[in-house]
Amino acid sequence: MNLGLEYPWVLAGLLLCLLPIFRLGAVANPYPWQAILPPDPLSQAISGLIRLLGVLAIGGLTLGLAGAYLQEQQVERIGHGAHIVMLLDRSNSMDNTFAGKAPDAQGEESKANAARRLLNQFVDHRQHDLIGVAEYSTSPLFVLPLTENKAAIHAAIDATALPALAYTNVSKGLSMALEFFDSRPVTGSRIVLLVSDGAAVIDPDSEAALRELFKQRQVSLYWVFLRTANSPGLFEIPDDPRDDNAQAMPERYLHLFFNSLHIPYKAYEAETPGALQQAVDDINRLENRPLHYFERIPKQDLSTRCYAFAAVMLLLLLGVKLCEARP
Amino acid sequence: MTITPNLRDYRFWLLAAALLILSAVFFHPQTSAQASLYRLTFIVDITRSMNTEDYQLDQQPLGRLQFVKQALRRELLKLPCGSQVGLGVFTERRSTLLFEPIEVCSGFAEIDAAIAALDWRMAWAADSRIASGLLSTLEMLKDKDQTLVFFSDGQEAPPPNPRYKLDLSAVKDQVKGVIVGVGGEQLSPIPKFDAKGQRQGFYKPEDVPHRSSFGESDLNPEKIQGYNARNAPFGSDAATGDEHMSRLHESYLRQLAAESGLQYRRLTDTDSLDNALQQAEFAKPGIQNIDSSWRFAGLALLLLAAIYIR
Repeated sequence: MNLGLEYPWVLAGLLLCLLPIFRLGAVANPYPWQAILPPDPLSQAISGLIRLLGVLAIGGLTLGLAGAYLQEQQVERIGHGAHIVMLLDRSNSMDNTFAGKAPDAQGEESKANAARRLLNQFVDHRQHDLIGVAEYSTSPLFVLPLTENKAAIHAAIDATALPALAYTNVSKGLSMALEFFDSRPVTGSRIVLLVSDGAAVIDPDSEAALRELFKQRQVSLYWVFLRTANSPGLFEIPDDPRDDNAQAMPERYLHLFFNSLHIPYKAYEAETPGALQQAVDDINRLENRPLHYFERIPKQDLSTRCYAFAAVMLLLLLGVKLCEARP
Repeated sequence: MTITPNLRDYRFWLLAAALLILSAVFFHPQTSAQASLYRLTFIVDITRSMNTEDYQLDQQPLGRLQFVKQALRRELLKLPCGSQVGLGVFTERRSTLLFEPIEVCSGFAEIDAAIAALDWRMAWAADSRIASGLLSTLEMLKDKDQTLVFFSDGQEAPPPNPRYKLDLSAVKDQVKGVIVGVGGEQLSPIPKFDAKGQRQGFYKPEDVPHRSSFGESDLNPEKIQGYNARNAPFGSDAATGDEHMSRLHESYLRQLAAESGLQYRRLTDTDSLDNALQQAEFAKPGIQNIDSSWRFAGLALLLLAAIYIR
């Protein structure tokens, strides 16, 4: 428990606590000769108590005025959740519909729009997760670190409503997403959620680097592939074996590469907005390993409690005042 | 015990008054004050010329982009709680938004990390067409209630051809905001990096285009040496210039600002940014509730102390 003060200088007011110690704050009744009175421990105790009431009342008020608060605390909890990095494709084609057309007015949804809507829902469903956001096009864009600030994550997802950028460079995007887990304790599930509508060839250098990174970071990978109608899918084997190469079918080869990583990996081919829902549901269902996390308890204001305490003391003092002997 | 003698005792009255006044605290007295809140979207130029090291910090040369990042991170601390900050980057001929405005106090760590991660390597393409970038940014923010803060050094690459000047009149005065000029007045070399991000000296004259070779020249063809309308619209001379060096093109940015209805300010130190941003024109009226219970508690304390004075 850490106490803090908003205005520490107000504590100088604690000097006022000396007042009740040196003065009684009651009417002095004339008495012929005090020395004649026998020492009375009970009276002395009561007198001390009354002074104490005064000290406590002044102290409570001063503390309240100084703005006492409990500092923000972190409470360690164990829950179910994950560290999720959303890696979003910002390439041009994301602005098209699932049918591969530019969306027109008749309620057609672009792939980016569908993805955005579902990701926003997904974020709301995951209570205890830390979620980070990265984007990639020709180069990776760091957007948000792993955070529990849901408003910030929504703000980042909403920003993808704007027109997309250039090309698809998935390997750089993946390396950036994996970097999010550097210097993070391994607890709960670690997920990279790749949302893209296409793939690109990964060059051998970065392929080797990615293999190593995935192994070290113990990450599971979910790939939501927003497939455009009539484009080659992840699982399709071309009729002509000459077409079976990474250049002609980058999606299939990226899928094979992910499979060969020996990490938990699942791919979803979403041809309609409904299929994307499936992936989100699966993550909700599967990725709920116990997670150590720190819940932030925001700073608590104590001044009202100080005032309440002082008010009780004042009430007692008033009661004492009513009992005062009057000549 | 009778009440009457107490009524003649001023201490009784002081005590009763103190208790009464203090009890007002439990009704949570508040005064509301007008507060100026801001909803800013920072768009930062991340083209290569922003790597030019013509700022100084602690006697060390500092790149323009680094300086902008520092200034922004300090500015975050100065904005009043309840203000919102969004972030985007500009390169090539357009800008992109990383996130929509986030509240600065609750989202401080996130915004700060995102600003710290800004890097010239985020660029998705290499040109630096600032006028187009500004146009795309203004179109992007047109219908949003956000104040644009556009950081740039005004160095277009390739240099703009006045003949193909972009018309910004369609977006003029649609968005409030400020263009913040970044950089020094002296020409400075631009650091060059290789594909792995290792520094490789500076750009040399032969590395960069010294004129735009799109379309036709803005000069009278008779004045162009070796002009040929089809084969050499820019003449036969090799273009020369100092485009491999960079300085703040202030007049160009001022002109862009005037054409788009934005203000222009220059980033000289971190305070200059605060002055540029926290101005009345960009403030959105917000009401801040201020707890005023201290007034009651303070009065109660004085009354209580008065009991002991005499």
